[in-house]
Amino acid sequence: MNVKCKTQNVKFLIFLLLAAHCSLLTANAQSDGSTQNLLGKAGTFAIQNARIVTVSGAVIENGTILIQDGKIAAVGASVSVPSNAEKIDGKGLSVYPGMIDAGTNMGLAEISSGASATIDVQEVGDINANAKAILGINPHSSHINVTRVAGVTTVLSMPSGGLISGQSAVINLWGSTQTDMAVVPTFALIVNFPRVSTFGGFGQPQIDFNEAVRRRDQRLEALKKAFKDAENYGRIKDAYVKDKSLPLPKTDLGLEAMIPYIRGEKPIIFTAERKRDIDSIIKFVEETKTKGIVIGGQEAWKSAEGLKKNNIPVIFTNMFNLPVQDDDNYDTFYEAPSKLAQAGVNFAISTGDNGANVRDLPYQAGTAAAFGLSKDDALKSVTLYPAQILGIADKYGSLETGKMANVVVTTGDILDARTDVKYLFINGRLMPLTSRHTELFERFKDRK
Amino acid sequence: MKIRIFGIVLLAIALFSTVSAQNRTDVYAVTNARIVTVSGAVIERGTVVVRDGLIESVGADAKIPADARVLDGTGLTVYPGFIDALTSLGIQTPARPQTPGQPQQQNQQPQSNSNYPNGLQPEKTAVEDLRGGDAQFETPRNAGFTTVLTVGNTGIFNGQSAIINLGGESVSAMVVKSPFAQHFSFRNLGITYPASLLGTFSAFRQMLLDAKRLQELQKQYAANPRGMKRPEDDKSLEALFPVINGTMPIVFNANLEREINRSLDLAKEFNLKAIIAGGQEAWKVADRLKSQNVPVLLSMNFPKRTAASSPDADPESLATLRFRAETPKGAAILSQKGVKFAFQSGGMTNLNDFFSNALKATENGLSKDAAIRAMTLDAAEIFGIENRTGSIEPGKIANLTVIRGDVFAKERTVTHVFVDGRLFEMKEKPRTPTTNSGGTTPSTRALAVGGTWNITLEVPGQTIPGTLNLVQQDTTLTGTMSTALTGSSPIKDGKVTAEGFSFSVSVNAGGTNLDLAFNGKVSGNQVSGTVDTPQGVISFTGTKNP
Amino acid sequence: MKKAIVLFLIISMSLILPNFSLAQSKTEILIRNATVLTAVKGNLENTDILIQNGKIAKIGKNLKAAANAQIIDATGKFVSPGIIDAHSHTMLDAINEGSFSVTSMTQIQDVLDPTDISIYRALAGGVTTGNLLHGSANPIGGQNSTVKFKWGKPVGDYLVNDAPPGIKFALGENVKRSNFPPQPGQPTRYPRTRMGTMEVIRDAFIRAREYKQSWDDFKNGKTKVQPRTDVELQPIVEILEGKRLVHAHGYRSDEHLNLLRLAEEFGVRIATLQHGLEAYKIAPEIAKHGAGVSIFVDFWSYKLEAYDTIPHNAYILWKNGVNVSINSDSDERMRRLNIDAAKVMRYGGVPEEEALKMITLNPAKQLGIDKRTGSIEVGKDADLVIWTAHPFSIYSRVETTFIDGEIFFDRTKDAQMRVEMQKERENLEKMEVNRAPGSGGTQPRVPSERRKADRDDAEDGDGGNQ
Repeated sequence: MNVKCKTQNVKFLIFLLLAAHCSLLTANAQSDGSTQNLLGKAGTFAIQNARIVTVSGAVIENGTILIQDGKIAAVGASVSVPSNAEKIDGKGLSVYPGMIDAGTNMGLAEISSGASATIDVQEVGDINANAKAILGINPHSSHINVTRVAGVTTVLSMPSGGLISGQSAVINLWGSTQTDMAVVPTFALIVNFPRVSTFGGFGQPQIDFNEAVRRRDQRLEALKKAFKDAENYGRIKDAYVKDKSLPLPKTDLGLEAMIPYIRGEKPIIFTAERKRDIDSIIKFVEETKTKGIVIGGQEAWKSAEGLKKNNIPVIFTNMFNLPVQDDDNYDTFYEAPSKLAQAGVNFAISTGDNGANVRDLPYQAGTAAAFGLSKDDALKSVTLYPAQILGIADKYGSLETGKMANVVVTTGDILDARTDVKYLFINGRLMPLTSRHTELFERFKDRK
Repeated sequence: MKIRIFGIVLLAIALFSTVSAQNRTDVYAVTNARIVTVSGAVIERGTVVVRDGLIESVGADAKIPADARVLDGTGLTVYPGFIDALTSLGIQTPARPQTPGQPQQQNQQPQSNSNYPNGLQPEKTAVEDLRGGDAQFETPRNAGFTTVLTVGNTGIFNGQSAIINLGGESVSAMVVKSPFAQHFSFRNLGITYPASLLGTFSAFRQMLLDAKRLQELQKQYAANPRGMKRPEDDKSLEALFPVINGTMPIVFNANLEREINRSLDLAKEFNLKAIIAGGQEAWKVADRLKSQNVPVLLSMNFPKRTAASSPDADPESLATLRFRAETPKGAAILSQKGVKFAFQSGGMTNLNDFFSNALKATENGLSKDAAIRAMTLDAAEIFGIENRTGSIEPGKIANLTVIRGDVFAKERTVTHVFVDGRLFEMKEKPRTPTTNSGGTTPSTRALAVGGTWNITLEVPGQTIPGTLNLVQQDTTLTGTMSTALTGSSPIKDGKVTAEGFSFSVSVNAGGTNLDLAFNGKVSGNQVSGTVDTPQGVISFTGTKNP
Repeated sequence: MKKAIVLFLIISMSLILPNFSLAQSKTEILIRNATVLTAVKGNLENTDILIQNGKIAKIGKNLKAAANAQIIDATGKFVSPGIIDAHSHTMLDAINEGSFSVTSMTQIQDVLDPTDISIYRALAGGVTTGNLLHGSANPIGGQNSTVKFKWGKPVGDYLVNDAPPGIKFALGENVKRSNFPPQPGQPTRYPRTRMGTMEVIRDAFIRAREYKQSWDDFKNGKTKVQPRTDVELQPIVEILEGKRLVHAHGYRSDEHLNLLRLAEEFGVRIATLQHGLEAYKIAPEIAKHGAGVSIFVDFWSYKLEAYDTIPHNAYILWKNGVNVSINSDSDERMRRLNIDAAKVMRYGGVPEEEALKMITLNPAKQLGIDKRTGSIEVGKDADLVIWTAHPFSIYSRVETTFIDGEIFFDRTKDAQMRVEMQKERENLEKMEVNRAPGSGGTQPRVPSERRKADRDDAEDGDGGNQ
């Protein structure tokens, strides 16, 4: 292992020296080395005598969970364990479903500053409906291992920027190829919803509010036009399919990609923070009859009625952000999930991180619990609730018979920063708990 | 018809200009006037005699000389000429507001042979950059000012100020005192050292320390040059000698509490004779100002709300709301704590605000006497010219401002201004000038100027693109003016006439507040006109955005 | 009549006093029945802390206090030392003087902004003390300030006067200006490589040594002409004399090691390696040199230099006997340093009290203020935090933060303040001057040259790094 790591480091140095050619070496430089390619051990596993936090049902204080064929075959206080099962003593340990972060750029952004070759987050131009995150995700990003060994097993990875950023992907943090990883390869269209922003630049005066509204309206018109164009395009296409005597419409990949989203067949994730912008989204969703999801959501609790009425869930990504206004309460974002819960809005807590710090997800949920959210809701906000929002709750988000076996075995409360992960399963595979970090640790921990 | 147009022209002259200074009549007697001497009691009905530029006599029974031109002062009040304690009036240098932290344009000024970069040249003096001529001072004089402190407003060291009277064909005739003080701003030079507020402090310290040493070495060398290397002849450092010796005050432009504290810290560190200019939060530091005996050139440019209201807009911060509410109370607190202060216009374009805000200060607890002193004798005392001016006393310079009614009346009219004994007589404005302009109402004749205009502002050395969004309702104009530099600001006092349009706008250019007054004409899809800025008049042109 | 007045006075006093004493008084405070995390002598259950004159007067069970003492019942709660952030840029109007490679002449103390709301938010996260540093745009940056976050007090009260002076050094890509190409009209600055960075520092040390010599020669009568007082070299002389602490920002292990070697050549001990993302690779060398290390607990991958750090950094350094602190370098992260410290228990297995030290006593030692703060011991400053649960628990929350025995954050008071602020807002908004649409005028000017949320390499307003 040492030898390999050294090779790795030499490559890393070359990478530094030949910055101009870094794109060629990037994939190697980012690779974790040997264990990266250990894709876990498939088989039948029984975790016994453990505290099982099913999330969907009651906690089983002393139970067994049986993992077979990638799925949870059984879970309960008394489960019959087949003789071929590998038995794991869970005494003193807790079992949780793998956590889910519904708002990341996982695999699209390795090193956010000074290494643009590793960044695949934003395409050129404003309208990029056909850009698909699943085709940009680097399965060998070191963020993936680092994140999963912290108990996060599934994420939404999104492109960002522009007006229509592209299509997001729901992935498991497992696999050698994008196909291995994909849970929902094209999940939701990401719309960077035009916002009223009076921000005039750093050190610059604010923009007059009415002027900011005017600018927003211009952007909103552009968005509406794109939706209209896609609608027209879809109609012409459909007509042609029914009647081939009509002229053959010219294919437009961007408009083509939008059709299922603007028709409400698949969801659209809208970015927004402020009430005024979220209210615009609610109106937009009502008008376009689309399936909306809000990501960001600083003031979403203030728009609770409209969100509920239109069944728009919120992916809240501001736990570890500073309040915006000086007069805001210090805990305004800490409290936001609790307010969303009280108002009955469907929500999930997400890091909104580009990948490296997605492993902080449990602590973000835990902090919400310190500020009014129930511990039960806090746990659900990073397991079952995001699974529901991502439309994968039939397979993920809780420990139930028949669901995919994304299972985390911990030394304690999964939301607590002191808690360690002891075993990790993704799709029923027992994963090695190694990452770029553990490898470097192993290499240097005993250096004299 | 022709006659009517001629009438309009005449009226325009009456409205927009004063009748120029009277010819050589050197002796005046203003009689039957209320006289606010400031140094003594108010004379309810008396006479002031002016001869050869000086006040000859003042009193209830002052004798009217036979050779005097007599001005009946019934209903008028005579004040010592008002002093604006900080301006850049008459300074020729194209001043560019500097944005802290932003790279500056390369300065257009000619290279000097200073060892220090432009912006760190304390040897600059206002008198060098002054130009002669009465006409340029018409606006402040019409408002009632006879005397101002003037100094450039660029750089870290703004240079040495002069106290000038607002009359005189030559610079030397204007100057009352020069140099008065060194002026300092907490700015930086953008991309060269000092490129941040941090460096501004250290550059200042190093220059003061170097000046001290140079002065010492020069003394040593003068006493005994043999065997000693000749000390450098450094005019920048030499300009600081009086500052470090405490013989020349240093004026720190500082509005916020922490800026004022920083100024006071520096004054203490180097034992400087400090003055604070701006001083919007000086009241918060009043005790310290008192104990360090530091006067304030207090800005009368009180903060006002500029943002239009909208239910969706972010609420203004409490700090902003408090700041606006508290600033007018500052003068009263300074007065109560015994801090000396003078009023200054703080870059406002409409000098009427000077007096209405002084009135606001009195409504917030400042005595009217103290307010008048702050624009007369107290200012003169801070400038060290109280033996010459600032009050109506025999032998002092005949700087007088004559007002119909009272300076604190809502409707006040300056009728006469004496500068160095020269009379500038004002034509009083007709109350409703538009009714004289003919049979048609202005609204039907007003130009159509509404819409979006892409404009270019011709700032010396560069052009700045901008946008006017004008909304016209009859003769009223609203909307916004925006540039990349200032963002978007709402316009105010917008008017449209048959000839053109006008409005004013307050912009914030990287922390510096500027009041701009636009006057424009429209022809088809072309627009052109002038912008009155605190640094002078610039022109603009543009086209309509279809 | 007189009685009525006296009664009125008493009533009004009693109305004013509770509020007043909360923030202002120097009377005794007794915190009762808490679990006290001393950070040096373990955790004490059901324990009282008596605060007198801003100091911790007694620690024990069933302590007695003066009759007028303020009693705070902390049953079921935890008390920890105030958190110390050894790397912060909060409350600064400017962070970088990016023009020169050596800006030792600049002083953070000149640009403090005591109105920065981040101060209050830090208090709400249990932070009482910070090391306010110049940015990392220069091999030798400006002089730091060690402050206690006494929100609401004049800026002079913030300064910890007996804290030894310090200075920022920086290595690596920020000083090479890798991500900050020169602006038009700005020359490319030396250094552009790690080679040049070391030479800049060596050159500064030598210039300072020669400068000192020139003054010595003058004082000894060897020369006649008084040398210049040089505000750039003066602080570097203090470094060489061991009177000024060097806080050296760096990422790669090789550059930090080179700095240690260079310092050793000049007989200087580096006080802290700041960030030290790869410090774990050279832990034995750091231990031998005697430098402390102040790190992000696990922040990584945000740039190439930060790709090789590991969350076990703290553990390896600790195991090697290095004094480790965990810092934020961010107004946001500063509010949750307790959770950052909790993480080191998991990554490698640092014991609880040692982990707690990393945000209390260890940074106090690094800043040279451990005699007065950083742990709960009799005689030390009463810089304390009351938590609803163990501060390492994700479910804990700060209830009250004390500095020098005064309360600067209190959650109950915060709730009252919200109501008061709302009332004040309503009153202020009614005022003519605050009503829209205005007729022009000026907005308050805030002389800040920096962005708000910040971490080490966020681009600064003045084109530098933090």
